[in-house]
Amino acid sequence: MKKYFIILFLLAAGILVKGQTSDPLVSNCLTTAGPGSKYLKDFRVQLGKAPSAGELRYKAQMSLWKNTKYRFSLCNAEDSKGKLILSIKDNANKLVLSSFDQKTGKTYPYVDFICNKSGIYQLNYDFVDGQQGSGVGVVSMVK
Amino acid sequence: MKGRFFFVLFIIMFMSFSCRNASNKGSEFVFPEADSIPASEAEKLSTEAIEEISKNIASPVEIANLLQVMAVPYSPEYLASSIDANKQTTAFDKAFSLGVLGADLGYLNMYEKTGTSIDILSSIRKLAEGIRVGQFFDFETIKRLSLNKSNLDSLLFLSIDSYTQIDKYLRDNDRGQLSSLMIIGVWIEGQYLATQVMKEYPDPMLKDRIGEQKIILNDLIMLAAPYCDRDTEFSSLCRNLQAIKETYRDVRITYTLGEPESVEENGGLVIRQTETSVVEMTDAQIASIIEVTKSIRDKLILNN
Repeated sequence: MKKYFIILFLLAAGILVKGQTSDPLVSNCLTTAGPGSKYLKDFRVQLGKAPSAGELRYKAQMSLWKNTKYRFSLCNAEDSKGKLILSIKDNANKLVLSSFDQKTGKTYPYVDFICNKSGIYQLNYDFVDGQQGSGVGVVSMVK
Repeated sequence: MKGRFFFVLFIIMFMSFSCRNASNKGSEFVFPEADSIPASEAEKLSTEAIEEISKNIASPVEIANLLQVMAVPYSPEYLASSIDANKQTTAFDKAFSLGVLGADLGYLNMYEKTGTSIDILSSIRKLAEGIRVGQFFDFETIKRLSLNKSNLDSLLFLSIDSYTQIDKYLRDNDRGQLSSLMIIGVWIEGQYLATQVMKEYPDPMLKDRIGEQKIILNDLIMLAAPYCDRDTEFSSLCRNLQAIKETYRDVRITYTLGEPESVEENGGLVIRQTETSVVEMTDAQIASIIEVTKSIRDKLILNN
């Protein structure tokens, strides 16, 4: 009898966990955005090793609006060889932000962007030095 | 004589270009030259391009967030309560209403109005099942998260993710017209919400947000363009979108230049953008946008 309860409990727990999000990496990354953040989008990035380091390979567009503070969180899968990085360019192809400091090699786990110019922006994701990797970028609004 | 004439002409041209560059105004947003995107062009859009366009449409959650920043109280008056999911007969009506109610759900979630959101969730469920995409909406979990008010972020994630999955599934299964309708429904309802609030709370931030929709209007029209000749419902929708675009024709969006400022904070990076977008819109223009939006939105949801 006890065995059935354990099985029932495990099944229920499984359903609840699955219910939160089907991808645990996204689910965990949501929690890193911090309390009070409001989810907008996520970008699941899985890339092989780049033949040569160059432009960031995963590209996506997103409209960003004036008077809004966005948080771009970057999370890596446990088995990811590379660290996920992000750069954002505006519609004039001007670099607006980068989570990777090329001079020092430092990567930031999140970047807050206080947007003052509404428009369509290009989000570019990759792994440091074009390494193989798996990660997720979550975009939220924060106060 | 001829030489002096060309010299003067050269100086004038040089000065006019120099002045333009010296201005702190960066540039101005204008609609692409083709006022109506030819259907043949739109049909050539790749699935990826359409997917990108759909991502550009402003989330109703962002509009609801702006209303909260402005301390605008919640009002059920803005909701599309006249939509009865049981009375939607065509796939067009179901998909469009699914978008409209999705925007309302975003608004309700942000204001944590759980009682009403449960009613809307039931309608969303019926509509989604009506176009055979109910499997992507985790109603029970959304309902549970909505009722216990414990985790707004997860609630937003599940709601938005369900719509994203529906959108992708419809496009992957050659039912892109329903996906476009859903996205247009989300946008029209978000626009309706913003413009109705603007009547009562004429805040400059909200006015700007309404004016800035000019940036994505062409994308929205591109989403509908391949289907404009499909049937009378789509033809009418395309005409309505063009009518909205017409109200934006003389709204000006200019940009001032600047370099971003960055600072490290708590292990993360904070970037403040100093470039700005500036919306110039007269009272008559905003009044026209409010009126046309309401008229089109009401017509579309009352037809249902």
